[in-house]
Amino acid sequence: MTGKDPQDPDVADDDYQTLRRALRRMPTPEPRAGFVERALARAAAQQRETQALLPARLRHFLSRWETWAGAALGAAAAAAVAFFLVRPIDTAVNEQPQLALTIHETRNVDVLIDSERELKGATIRIAASGSIALDGFDDAQHADWQTDLDRGSNLLSLPVVARTAGKGQLVAVIEHGGRTRRVAVELTVIDPEASRS
Amino acid sequence: MRRASRTAETSDAVEFERLLRDHVPALYRSAYRWTGTVDRAEDLVQQLLVRLYPRLAELRELDQLRPWALRVMYRIFVDQLRRERSSPVQFGAEPLVDDESHVDDEAWLDPAPGPAELAEQQIVQESLLRAWERLGDEHRAVLSMHDIEDYTLPELAQIMEVPLGTLKSRLHRARARLRELLAAERMIAEDRV
Repeated sequence: MTGKDPQDPDVADDDYQTLRRALRRMPTPEPRAGFVERALARAAAQQRETQALLPARLRHFLSRWETWAGAALGAAAAAAVAFFLVRPIDTAVNEQPQLALTIHETRNVDVLIDSERELKGATIRIAASGSIALDGFDDAQHADWQTDLDRGSNLLSLPVVARTAGKGQLVAVIEHGGRTRRVAVELTVIDPEASRS
Repeated sequence: MRRASRTAETSDAVEFERLLRDHVPALYRSAYRWTGTVDRAEDLVQQLLVRLYPRLAELRELDQLRPWALRVMYRIFVDQLRRERSSPVQFGAEPLVDDESHVDDEAWLDPAPGPAELAEQQIVQESLLRAWERLGDEHRAVLSMHDIEDYTLPELAQIMEVPLGTLKSRLHRARARLRELLAAERMIAEDRV
């Protein structure tokens, strides 16, 4: 019999080895006809759909996770209004920054994710609530996707639009390896017309 | 510009297929052994491919793509199990055993009725299949990868991202459970005779 693992504590257990041989004879079906081709094609199609759903501006930022130096330049060029330092993913974040927007104003809110190591396949979830929405998502208030984070600083620039006067909140959640970190930004949307009347 | 983008997408799709095509059947067989049904196996493999596609650049650099893909698939599988267990809809899987970090040497001396009588010629394949179907998903996964697909314990420790001791314990429990189920199946079969 092949595949004897010297570290296997049951390697000398003849009874179990007999059972193991039987396990190896268990019939296992091959994929159904056409499944492999369909599954590969679907994976490619899903990627195209995901890309198409992301508005061009957000996709631009998402496609280039930058280092700190690049991030600073990119943020300046985008007239970013705020940086939020998300500390290494396993430490707490206590900051709760606040921003004020004018109604109907669109602004980039930049979140800086500082990771102490490279993180493959991190999940990022964005939720906008209250008076704001994610610009370019047809008023959607949620978006999530997977990406790899570089060691060091990674910039996420989120286009937010102020829909109604009042309070809003933008939350970014980063998940990786069962760990989760969350950063929230409080936003106040002001309607100048209403203030004058 | 758009044409250039389309060409790049097509080229990525072709390369993705070239890299993965030969591995998909083996990954599917693993998925089938873990999940026990065609539909769930197909879903699992599909999710894996969707997860891998954006990581094409990474895939190109891999020397050993299959164990790496198996590891990603295992992670998806475990995430699914956790979601199912926290869902109000229960799927009848065995609960994960959390406290597996210590392995007592004596634990390897299985006090349960040993299947001495389970000489190969006596094993009814149908009983084994039924026992396998009743085995928990986690147990099926570890037995499938170690006892059928021949991944060594150190390789499995990497794929499953657990310490070696935990893995040995998990493997031992899985085998013990399979033996229990098989003994029960054999009793049922004998009653029928």
